[in-house]
Amino acid sequence: MAAQNGMVDPAIFQDLQARVDEDGAVHDELRDIIQTLEKHNRTTLFVLSRAHSTPVSNLSSVLEAAEEPIQNAVAAITKLAQSASKVPYYKFNSMWTRQMQDAAYGMLFWGWLGGYKQEGDGIRCGRLLTIEELGEIMKIPVNLKDRDEFHLTIEEYLHATISLVEELTRLARNSVTLGDYERPVLVNQFVKDLFAGFQILNLKNDNLRRRTDGLKYRVKEVEDVVYDLSLRDLVPKKTEG
Amino acid sequence: MGDAKHEQPSTPYAAMFEGFRKDLDEHYDRRERVVKASRDITAASKKIIFTLQRLRNIGQPLPPFTVKGNAQYWGTIAERYKAISADLQGLNAYRYNMQITHGNQEFMEAICFQHYIETQTLISYNEAKMRVAAMSGEAGVVQLTVEDYILGIYDMTGEVMKFSITSMATNGKLPAGKPKKGPQPSQEPPSDQPADKMDIDRGVTAQSEEQQPRNVLSDLRELRLRLEMLEPPRTSKFRNEAEKKATVMRESVEKVEKALYNLTVRGSERPKGWVPGVREERRPEVESY
Repeated sequence: MAAQNGMVDPAIFQDLQARVDEDGAVHDELRDIIQTLEKHNRTTLFVLSRAHSTPVSNLSSVLEAAEEPIQNAVAAITKLAQSASKVPYYKFNSMWTRQMQDAAYGMLFWGWLGGYKQEGDGIRCGRLLTIEELGEIMKIPVNLKDRDEFHLTIEEYLHATISLVEELTRLARNSVTLGDYERPVLVNQFVKDLFAGFQILNLKNDNLRRRTDGLKYRVKEVEDVVYDLSLRDLVPKKTEG
Repeated sequence: MGDAKHEQPSTPYAAMFEGFRKDLDEHYDRRERVVKASRDITAASKKIIFTLQRLRNIGQPLPPFTVKGNAQYWGTIAERYKAISADLQGLNAYRYNMQITHGNQEFMEAICFQHYIETQTLISYNEAKMRVAAMSGEAGVVQLTVEDYILGIYDMTGEVMKFSITSMATNGKLPAGKPKKGPQPSQEPPSDQPADKMDIDRGVTAQSEEQQPRNVLSDLRELRLRLEMLEPPRTSKFRNEAEKKATVMRESVEKVEKALYNLTVRGSERPKGWVPGVREERRPEVESY
């Protein structure tokens, strides 16, 4: 066509195509890793979902079974961190943020059920892993501000905690079905504490805000379970108050 | 912080969430500043484009009144870029891309369009990037992504279309550049003028087209071709946006083609400078009642 004396210098579009292709290659590389991570996340949650039908006394087998997919997820995250740290973090962040939230959520649930650092005897439910602890498990930095590297963001952590609350709401009801009247009370306190934490934040209109707005309904649901129990005098005395 | 504790029930996670609040507040403030700047940059860019649309010639320096009239808008844009450049550094270089992309694209459109009017060529990505960089503050350069650039070009084709149609409606000719090298003696008349004199059957021959300086339509067609050849990455958001804009771009090219067709077919029947009148436009509407 109109070559060098045309409107467009052909070099412009050659350069553009090269840049677009470069991003495309990064995209492809990341997508493969992210799909692997997604698979391991699903397996983790699949294993952990047995918690809904397993009494606390038998929970350790579930928690142990979850360790393998969690470690697989960590391996995928390590690979992701290596690849993603070569490019500006926020240029591709939207590709993996969902999967990182899910990975964090799986670990939070596992940790809440007592999977993390269970020293001594028995399993203690009800612990919220901090963002730093998640970073330790995932082997990545968290909440970075001063350098452009792969990390777990505050938003991703908060999304994961909301998912945890949603899951625990279910667990509160299912515990009752299992004959466990103690755990709903524990969930109730936990969810309330976490909800109070979220109220400290000044969220702006975005996804996080929308999901946070839904938390109050979860709090109410768990409260209803505890109410039902207390009405029938089923709440164990020692945990009351 | 004491107040907040007073209002809210105490929670073992208070300290943790207070830390998050501090970081999130900073993030939201940055985002807010970028959103506002992006909006202002968009508005100022649109005004620059409006001023440029009042011109009738391409391939020559802007007249002083245009430069003078647009100076304030360039000033606004530079000021806004300076104000947010600190917010778009390091880790945050791409963080607010969704917020700044609109302003960037509109600014690209303005730069592209002005560059086209001045030189009748497409500004390169590197040059466009340097223009934004030159406006950024001391804190560092504001990124102009490849996506911003490409989407800006798509939008620019719409402006070139408007420019062409206006020119055809008011001057009765398609804007064309001045010849770069002048092998032909009679370069003065624009490309469509010979067609006006010719029999309709013959139209514009390929030969005569080649001899003429490039006109806006041939530029638009070339741009269209280049953009259509460009292969965006698969399954990306950018691809969707580009496809939407590509549709609009094709329509723009066609509008100019249609207008030129009309000019070619009926051009000789109409007196020079004849503009489709209001009366004629309305007549069928009245008849249909």
